Amino acid sequence: MGMSFFGPALVLLCVFLFIPMILTLIFSFTDFFALNPSLTHFTGLSNYFSIFKDEDFRLAFFNTWKFVLIIVPVQGLGALGLALLINKVSHFKGYFKVAFFLPVVMSLAVVSTLWIQIFSPEGILNTLLAHLGIAAQPFINSSSQALPSIALMSAWQGVGMQMIIFLGGIQGINPALYEAAELDHASAWQKFKDITLPELKPLCVFVFITITIGAFRMLVQPMIMTGGGPSHSTYTMVYDIYETGTVNWELGMASTMAIVFAIFVMILTVIQTIITRNKEDK
Amino acid sequence: MSFVELRNICKKYKGNERYSVENFNLEIEPHEFIAFVGPSGCGKSTTLRMIAGFEEITSGDLFIERKRMNEVAPRDRGISMVFQNYALYPHMTVEKNIAYGLQNMKVPKDEIKKKVDYAINMLGLEEYRKRKPKNLSGGQRQRVALGRAIVKNQKLFLMDEPLSNLDAKLRVSMRTEISRIHREIGATTIYVTHDQVEAMTMADRIVIMKDGIVQQVGKPMDLYDHPVNKFVAGFIGSPQMNFFDVVVDGDKLTFSDGASMTLPDRIASKLSCHNKKLILGIRGEDIKVDNLALDTFKNNILQAKINDTEIMGNDNNLYFTFGNTNAVARVSKYDVKEIGETLSFIFETHHLHFFDPDTENALL
Amino acid sequence: MKTRKQKILNWILIIVMAAFSLLFLFPLIWMIFNSFKGDAAIAHDLHSFAAFLPPALSKGFFHNYTQILFHTDFLRYLVNTVFYAIIMVVLGIIVNGLAGYALAKINFPFRDRWLLIIMLLMIVPMESIITIHFFFIAKLGLLNTVIGLVLPGIVNPFNIFLFRQVFISLPDDIWEAAQLDYCSPIKYFFTMVLPMAKSAVATVGVLTFLGVWNDYLWPSLVFTSNRLLTVQIGLNAITANENTTMGMKLAVITLVTIPVIIMYALFSKQIVEGVVSTGGKEG
Repeated sequence: MGMSFFGPALVLLCVFLFIPMILTLIFSFTDFFALNPSLTHFTGLSNYFSIFKDEDFRLAFFNTWKFVLIIVPVQGLGALGLALLINKVSHFKGYFKVAFFLPVVMSLAVVSTLWIQIFSPEGILNTLLAHLGIAAQPFINSSSQALPSIALMSAWQGVGMQMIIFLGGIQGINPALYEAAELDHASAWQKFKDITLPELKPLCVFVFITITIGAFRMLVQPMIMTGGGPSHSTYTMVYDIYETGTVNWELGMASTMAIVFAIFVMILTVIQTIITRNKEDK
Repeated sequence: MSFVELRNICKKYKGNERYSVENFNLEIEPHEFIAFVGPSGCGKSTTLRMIAGFEEITSGDLFIERKRMNEVAPRDRGISMVFQNYALYPHMTVEKNIAYGLQNMKVPKDEIKKKVDYAINMLGLEEYRKRKPKNLSGGQRQRVALGRAIVKNQKLFLMDEPLSNLDAKLRVSMRTEISRIHREIGATTIYVTHDQVEAMTMADRIVIMKDGIVQQVGKPMDLYDHPVNKFVAGFIGSPQMNFFDVVVDGDKLTFSDGASMTLPDRIASKLSCHNKKLILGIRGEDIKVDNLALDTFKNNILQAKINDTEIMGNDNNLYFTFGNTNAVARVSKYDVKEIGETLSFIFETHHLHFFDPDTENALL
Repeated sequence: MKTRKQKILNWILIIVMAAFSLLFLFPLIWMIFNSFKGDAAIAHDLHSFAAFLPPALSKGFFHNYTQILFHTDFLRYLVNTVFYAIIMVVLGIIVNGLAGYALAKINFPFRDRWLLIIMLLMIVPMESIITIHFFFIAKLGLLNTVIGLVLPGIVNPFNIFLFRQVFISLPDDIWEAAQLDYCSPIKYFFTMVLPMAKSAVATVGVLTFLGVWNDYLWPSLVFTSNRLLTVQIGLNAITANENTTMGMKLAVITLVTIPVIIMYALFSKQIVEGVVSTGGKEG
């Protein structure tokens, strides 16, 4: 009876998870070309060497890291700050939570389409900057600003989620700690530094890794907003996998990239799981 | 003809060395109310669940109406069950909970309504028909669970500690309620409890278990008056039977603090001991302190200082230390004494129990 | 007890936060209010505070919206997406729910192994196998079919695990009682387990719905036929059209967002719980 319940899921798991994972691994050692599978050769590790020689993939790899370096501090610290402030206010907590969470539920396509308008040379953002006396910026139309622009937009969209996680963590801190500190004449800053921060430390690590993983997976925003440009400045790893595999049908090469990508993400996930588990043990 | 028969039923869980239930033999007559009683972990619930079919029977045979049931699915054994935590369907109203089994049995609608109405009436649940379990009190939930068992008209009722989640007062009233229902519908009932009071007050016969082994089967008063071993003697009855380490030599019985009394010839000859260590058991109400008894048995008067008292008017317990053991005497309201006073008493020799200190089995 | 100074600071903080929240939401405010304006008005208002105000109520107030609803394929995309989402929600709950129940309550060979495998699968990023999925679906001739869109996404290790965690805490005696009430295992699952775990079912259902509604990459791969597109891909088609004005673009993205906001209003608890517990990996 167990199998009749588990069976449907098992069949789908095999077809759409196990077999694709195995195939990805196998293809990564071949020059499999989906439009002409008969020409397939086993090529050993050569794909793994050639992707790192490949200009586009190297660019995509470094762009992904650049994206991580911008979005992690902005989104992570932003979420922590918002959570601390919302926790402090005595009224309208509900409104603030909803306001900052709202972009989380919106789709990437909608957010991207909206921000194309906002980032446009004569758009609302440049108009606002003009009022502050700042010259118009090219944003997503320049190879130097496109990636940071998309990173900031993504941080804007995602910050609400980590804010909720931090709020949960802050509310989980034993209030007696603050009462004890109060009797010890601790200032507000000392309470934050000596109680809030240490108590939230494991959660911070968790949140920062979550954001990093999310950043690694970025694809839709550049796809819609910049097409990976200008001059490949917003081309990401997943973008490269997608183009190589589904546009050019070079499944061998795409699989190698997918394996490299998956290894990075899985390492991060494992670290995160270990940290989360430790947190729960405490 | 027995209605339910358990023949050498054993249960051993995988990975356990010991049997959880060992060689359980019992024949249950139709309409009988049987209680399985014993401390937690004694195997009483496991046995019930083997009868229901929720636990596999490791070895032995189970017959219900002379049909072997070992491999029969629970639903086809013709049983109803009341669970310890009620197991009500949380998202269904009282009515639906009771009707659910009948609906699945494809009973015609008007008949379902009739049966459900009958059960709801019988249990006094009229005003709660449309409520969901979470909006009911413990006692009401218990009634719904009973109702669900009743309507299916099964011939065998199984109850697994049904009152253990209720408060003391409610437990007493539900006890009479269950007895009344049993009288009304007459289904054979097996009732598992750890509370000897429930077993004594409700059951026709009691099966008392310990460590997976049946200790004694019998009518409540048989168990009370003629326990086969020290465990049964101590488990049945409240306050507990008093036990003393004694040495018996002919008709002379000596307590460990040196006090002694004389045994009637009838007992002495049956025991026929020569300087032998035994355990003496006597119930609180068989320790007599009234003047008539003291006058009658002048030679056997014993004395101790009262440590503590529990005075309830109709039921008064005097606690004292005697023979290096703490003991209790139940006395009438005319014989109540104060803490610190000296109590003179005699042991009613008709109701003495003797146990072998090694096997703990009853002698006599 | 708060001192007077703390009270004043608190209200200053609230005012600052309120101002900041408006600044944070300015893209949305701008999107909604300008979706009612013509392009000339949008461009004109850009240079004043009117950019963040709705236009005066006039005859053409809903012009952009009527254009989108009645002169593009938007309604078709909408119906398509709701249809796909419902299929996915129903099948997802059944398939993942049954598997979660088996892992929680039924003894079958290698059950604990399977549970471990499901947990390991949760760390595999789907992006790394999406090309293979596409290859499969293309080879099976399922491009431009509903099956092609739905099939690879039905089974979801996160949802299996979530269901398993919820089901394992259901009391066993209810299943025993149901057996005595002549309830079959499959009937028990649908009439007892799912209703008893309705909060988890709602979480999975809502997240699956939002997942299908918001998904971009997979439908953009599977569908090329305009007839089948989802709102997210259709939105691209509409905004790419030369005849689509700025106001209409804002109107269409507002339209795509409204159902999500409604879902959030109705199921905020489930969404927040679900999004937080999966780390947003489904979004």
